[in-house]
Amino acid sequence: MSIAVRLIMARIKKVMSTALPILKKEAKIEEAALLLAQQEHSCIIIVDNEVPIGIVTHLDLIRSLVSKGIGLNEPVSKIMSSPVTTMAHNLKLDAALRMTDTKPYRRYPVVKDGKLIGVVDKKDVINKVSFSFKLHRSFQIIILIVFVLLEFFIFVYSKRFSA
Amino acid sequence: MIRVRNFMTTEVMTVSEDIAIIEVAKKMASKSVSGFIVVEENKPIGVINEKDIVRAIMLRKAKVKDVMTADFAVISPNYSLHKVTKMLNKTNIKRFPVVENEKLIGLITETDIIEATRDLTKYHQMMLEVILAIFGVATAFFLFYFSPYGRSLFG
Repeated sequence: MSIAVRLIMARIKKVMSTALPILKKEAKIEEAALLLAQQEHSCIIIVDNEVPIGIVTHLDLIRSLVSKGIGLNEPVSKIMSSPVTTMAHNLKLDAALRMTDTKPYRRYPVVKDGKLIGVVDKKDVINKVSFSFKLHRSFQIIILIVFVLLEFFIFVYSKRFSA
Repeated sequence: MIRVRNFMTTEVMTVSEDIAIIEVAKKMASKSVSGFIVVEENKPIGVINEKDIVRAIMLRKAKVKDVMTADFAVISPNYSLHKVTKMLNKTNIKRFPVVENEKLIGLITETDIIEATRDLTKYHQMMLEVILAIFGVATAFFLFYFSPYGRSLFG
C-alpha cells in the first residue's frame, strides 16, 4: 500500500457502530437469544465493568443450544467466545484490515483505554479501505491527465521551436 | 468485466422447506455456515440464515417454511459484479441463489461480493500505478529532451 493511501486512510472509530448490543457476563443465554433474534444485531458483546470479555454470535448460540445441550437459563458467559480480539479506537484502517486478514473473526469490539466504545465489522473495514483506494485512484487519474496534457504541449511547442 | 459465474460458490448447501428447524440448526452448527438455500426439486424457493434459526428457536417454530424468507432475489450467472453490488446495497438479504434455466447452479454471499470487489480494487490500483509510472517517466524524459541541456546533449 502506497504512502499516499496510508495518509488518507481513516481510523477505526470512523467506521465502528456505536449501537451496541451489550450484556453483562451474569446475563442469561435467553437474553442473548432475544437480542440476536432482532434484525439489527449481528453479535452481542459481553462486558465486565465496561471491559469486553467475550462475544456471542448467532452460530455460538445455535451450536451451544443444539450440539452442546446448554439451556437458555444458563449464564451467557458459558457460550461466549473468550478472550476477544479488540481494536483500539485510533487504529488506522489499513492496520485494521491486516489484522482482520490474520484472524478468523468477523466482528471486533473497539476499545478506548480498555473500555468498550463500539464494534466493527470486517466488511465495513474492507468497504472503507476500498473507498480510500477509489479516492486515491481519482487523484492518480488527475495526475495522469496532467502528464498527458504536459506531453501534448511539449510536442506542440517543440515543433514550433524547431520550425 | 467480472461476472457472477467467475466468483460464485458452486457447492451450495441446501435444505428442504419441510425439514425440522432443529435439523437445520445441527447442520449449521456442524458445517459452520451462516445460511442455506431452501429448494424444491433443485429450484430455490427461499433462503434461511442463522438469524432466522435463532428466531425460530425463540418463537418455537418447527419447520423451515415457518421462518424462511420467500421474498428473495435470484441472480443470473451473467450478472456483473457491479450489478450484484447494487442489489446487495438495496436489500437486507445477504445471500443470492444463482439460477440458470430455473436450476440452482451456485450461490453468492455478501462476503463473496466484498472479496471480489477487493480483488478488483487491488487490480485496478496496480494497473493505474503502472500506467502512471510509464507516463511519469515519459513526461520526465520529454521535458529533459526538449530542455536546452537535452538539446545540446541529443543534438
